[in-house]
Amino acid sequence: MGSTWKVGIDIGGTFTDVIGINNQSGEIRTAKVRSQTRDPIASIVAAYHSIGVDWNNVDDLMHGTTLATNAIVEGNIAPVALIATEGFRDTIEIGRQNRRELYQLHVTPKLPPLVPEERRIEALERIGPEGQVLKRLSENEAIRIAEVVGKLNVEAAAVALQHCYVNSSHEKKLGDRLAGAVKYVALSHEMSPEPREFERTNTTILNAALMPLTVGYLNKLQAGAGDTTNVHLFHSAGGMASGAAVKRRPLALALSGPAAGVAAAGKIATELKLGNAIGFDMGGTTTDTCVVIEGRVQVSSDQHLAGLPVRQLMTAVESIGAGGGSIARTLGTAVRVGPDSAGAEPGPACYGLDGVLPTVTDANMVLGFLSTERLLGGVLRLVRDKAETAMSTLGKALEKSVHETAIGVYRIANASMARALHRVTVERGVDARGCSLIAFGGAGPMHAVALAQEFGISTVVVPKFSSVFSALGCLTAELSYAEQHTISLSSLEWDQQRIDAQCQSMMDRLSAPVLAAGNKTGDIKASFVALIRYAGQSDSIEVAFELPCDPEILGRDFQARHNKLFGFTTDEPWQFETLRVTVSAPAQSNIDELQETVLQESTNPISVDECWFDAKGPVSTRRFERGALPVDWAIEGPAIIEDNWSTIVVPPGATAQLHRSGHLIIDTGVVS
Amino acid sequence: MTRKPITMPDPFTIEVIRNALTAIAEEMSLIVMRSARSPLLREAGDLSSALTDAKGNLIAQGRDIPAHLGVMGSTVQEFLKRIPATRLQPGDVWFMNLPEAGGNHLPDVKAIRPIFAEGEIQAYAVSLAHWADIGGARAGSYVPDARDAWQEGLRIPPLRVFTSEGADREKLDVILSNVRGAEEREGDILAQMASTYSADERMQEVFSRYQATVVQAAIANLHDQSEAEMRAAILTIPNGVYEGEDWLDDDGPGRDPIAVRVRIEINDDEATFDFSKTADACAGPMNATPFTASASVFYAMKVIAGPDIQPNAGCARPVNIITREGSLLHPPVDKPVVAGNHDTSQRIVDAIFKAFEKVVPERLTAGGSTTSGLLLFSGRDPRTGKWTTLYEVHGGGEGARHDRDGMCAVRPHMSNVMNTPAEVIEANYPILIENQALRRGSGGNGLHKGGDGQVRTYLINAAGLVMTTIVERCIVPPYGLQGGEPGKTFEITHEQASGEVSQLAGKTHVSLDKGDRIIIKTSGGGGYGTQNGNTANSTGRN
Repeated sequence: MGSTWKVGIDIGGTFTDVIGINNQSGEIRTAKVRSQTRDPIASIVAAYHSIGVDWNNVDDLMHGTTLATNAIVEGNIAPVALIATEGFRDTIEIGRQNRRELYQLHVTPKLPPLVPEERRIEALERIGPEGQVLKRLSENEAIRIAEVVGKLNVEAAAVALQHCYVNSSHEKKLGDRLAGAVKYVALSHEMSPEPREFERTNTTILNAALMPLTVGYLNKLQAGAGDTTNVHLFHSAGGMASGAAVKRRPLALALSGPAAGVAAAGKIATELKLGNAIGFDMGGTTTDTCVVIEGRVQVSSDQHLAGLPVRQLMTAVESIGAGGGSIARTLGTAVRVGPDSAGAEPGPACYGLDGVLPTVTDANMVLGFLSTERLLGGVLRLVRDKAETAMSTLGKALEKSVHETAIGVYRIANASMARALHRVTVERGVDARGCSLIAFGGAGPMHAVALAQEFGISTVVVPKFSSVFSALGCLTAELSYAEQHTISLSSLEWDQQRIDAQCQSMMDRLSAPVLAAGNKTGDIKASFVALIRYAGQSDSIEVAFELPCDPEILGRDFQARHNKLFGFTTDEPWQFETLRVTVSAPAQSNIDELQETVLQESTNPISVDECWFDAKGPVSTRRFERGALPVDWAIEGPAIIEDNWSTIVVPPGATAQLHRSGHLIIDTGVVS
Repeated sequence: MTRKPITMPDPFTIEVIRNALTAIAEEMSLIVMRSARSPLLREAGDLSSALTDAKGNLIAQGRDIPAHLGVMGSTVQEFLKRIPATRLQPGDVWFMNLPEAGGNHLPDVKAIRPIFAEGEIQAYAVSLAHWADIGGARAGSYVPDARDAWQEGLRIPPLRVFTSEGADREKLDVILSNVRGAEEREGDILAQMASTYSADERMQEVFSRYQATVVQAAIANLHDQSEAEMRAAILTIPNGVYEGEDWLDDDGPGRDPIAVRVRIEINDDEATFDFSKTADACAGPMNATPFTASASVFYAMKVIAGPDIQPNAGCARPVNIITREGSLLHPPVDKPVVAGNHDTSQRIVDAIFKAFEKVVPERLTAGGSTTSGLLLFSGRDPRTGKWTTLYEVHGGGEGARHDRDGMCAVRPHMSNVMNTPAEVIEANYPILIENQALRRGSGGNGLHKGGDGQVRTYLINAAGLVMTTIVERCIVPPYGLQGGEPGKTFEITHEQASGEVSQLAGKTHVSLDKGDRIIIKTSGGGGYGTQNGNTANSTGRN
């Protein structure tokens, strides 16, 4: 048999990105192909072909997918039966009783419940807040419920009983009975072992509703892969999971793609010793940001998906509805950029399709940053005239020249990005000015340096493989599983035995699939985080600790971190709210071992163009081919560095340098 | 001395500055929410943050909670009437809560910090937070039978609590000695202080990038933008005079409905809201300040005519609001006001909606559970021996609209506070939630039906608890529009362990024993149009 490959694939909404490494020669191939929205397996096959591999010579496929996300967003999920505690079947319809929009009365204030009334069944049982059984679930009741569910003609059932996270016996009993009545069962104490019945129930229903689709997809994928390919999927918390694990918890795919990009950013932050960093992924319609603290990608268990609460550990990606396609328009005498977007079709005016409205990308075109020579992605030639026409229409309304208008739109886009950076860092208690910006995505590298200069950030990194960054995140991910569990223990009532036992049992449970995948005990890494707060606070602070858990160290670290975040600390007792455990095996490939194909080295620009960095006038700007840059050669701005998929703008005052790692590092000229 | 040249920034710079100022106000709210202790701030986000210019005109608001729309714009102006700007120093943080000084009710406490640049005060940062207790006759500071302002809690006039040297411990102790839960309150105070501190730091960055004159010119322009947006919104409503009225159930101790009346005059792009015919100030805590009234007016104008209007001082210019001194909406300072903030404010919106029914019914929503639906349980938890207070609000059915039914169990209009999950209640209070269900059939009939209310049963698991209710819509039901029927009213039942059953009034105070149950059934929404499809004007009240 010939050489074999490891492949990372991210199936996105528009493009499927692929990166493969040859196990024998170390050769790397990357490509981007259009996604086949209705048939993700066809997207994988097309991606394989684009880099010249097939199922037979791929040993390992690691992939991210929007399968689950799209199903939720489009409401294309399976009907589910819900079993709730007696008196609580309406919880999902009442919700938290708040409305989505404060000032839009025509919008329905809440989303309709995920399960309609006729499929919501109450179980005669009740468990109290300390786990005490107030009303026992009888065997007959469990049988009765299984019978009722069996008649509902659904494939999946969700069980969410009150306080099951302290006593799961009733959920398990129902789960056993339901196994004979429906194909798929999701139990809420497994999906989200934390209080808050509305959020936990919704999370469990979503899991159950995704099971038929996901299991079907994975079975088909594994059939295609046969015995020769190991298939793993990228999960929302930032690692790889086996097909078997994902079949049990398909909601873990919710943030699959974006989380993979952020995971790669986290690794690069560690590799380059950047300390704190912000992943900045600016695409056509949205921009995702995420904070990386000391190489750790930030996760959170309290997020929303398509307006629905989701309680599971997920990479804390903050999305704003602004990107290269955001449309600029006047509002009275004022000017706004976004939130409307020209999307991929018709796209910005400069795409030369049918778009006529001025977008952020058109501003980049008018300012001279984007090339009309190079084909975008090798297929699309950008049209400068169309961008200028669109921009001057806006300019006329504002009595500004076309270049003044384009500069203005570019600045406003950066200002709204700056707002997103503020939000994502303040929420995490980090000063963005001390962070590096890791820019990827279609438009990220065009705006990153100017944004950083505006914000007071001194370093921008545009990583290698930035155009297939999520696929890179998949290829270099480790197998990892994470879970969190409510503890609610006051420092005054410290129970060492309980904490130790809980840590051990979670570690054992999470290690099992990692060991089953062939890893040795010694290679497995477990990390522990305590979520701690003062009594009465809502947000807990993450405090990492090592076994054995020492309450004195924990308390000291908590106070230090609280002081850093909020500027004060008190000597009150604190509360160990939640325990989070992550278990991982080492990755098969590391980013620093992967090298991009280097072209014939050259310090000659491919062209010198007139670019506008302010309204005073154009300046001669050298344009370089990224793949031809020599290592460590300093390029002073103004300059443009480009490849087939992205354009890096280096404004005056900034200096770009290709690091030997292959990443482009830009000193913005700002001292932070 | 030469005057600085006034440089008018271009529209792009203005938009960049607007983004920066809004980011600062947003950041203030995040800081309070993350570190504050009062459950209302954490879970419900009952807080607002804002920047004003040197005269106290609102520039940008972090989270525009409807009930605070009128307050944030008046706080600094009223503050400056009492404390001349010459007394203010960099690093100062002043606290105040007087309802008559740009306030709404005592629990909403404001922290104010002057922001200096180029040697002058350029702006103020204001952080408003609802404290879970501000002292007064009852835990939680909701006193349904209050007869004067002092029974409602600690009145804080403008008080410099922090200077550049740090906290003034004596003043802090005066406050903390007069509220319940001193530790929690100190946490709230520090959180509010921290949020204004961050605003100051961020504003210094803005002033390091742009000259103060440029920033001020940009702010003036933002005010002009909002004014233009509000004028455009008013223009969408036909000229005319429209009158509307709705009623509060009673003032607590009293038993007679109280009228809230509005006369609206739309004159091209200007509007006058005259509340002079509203009833006189009442004895109980249903009075509302003129600032609360203006919050209701701005909320109503936003939802009816301009949802995207940026709330700042500019949008107030074309709107004239008249409240009669001595009336329910402009009470003497000695009158209690605590419930006016979230219940009377809602009734003002209802009166405005009913006035507009004749002219823009398709933009309106029929009556809903326009009340906080507040049940406030307090007592000692036998498990911990600690005093504890559960403040729980209850939403009901949404009113129907011209094109759809109302939704079940939501908070309407001026408030959007969430419920507390049953699991959280049971883990923290000696209370068991026996059920939470829809109150089926409670929405009013019509071409489109009002949404259903909800039912929740609280089983009390400890002796010696007390409960306060502040619930409206127990007597006067949520109205239908265009012939739709009203929704059902709230019902609160007390089932005693002894077997005795009684219906409770909307504003009362009862002792609870172990084994007692409180069952609250919330109102349904009003219907829209008659069932046979007509949307003729409603037949009036019965």
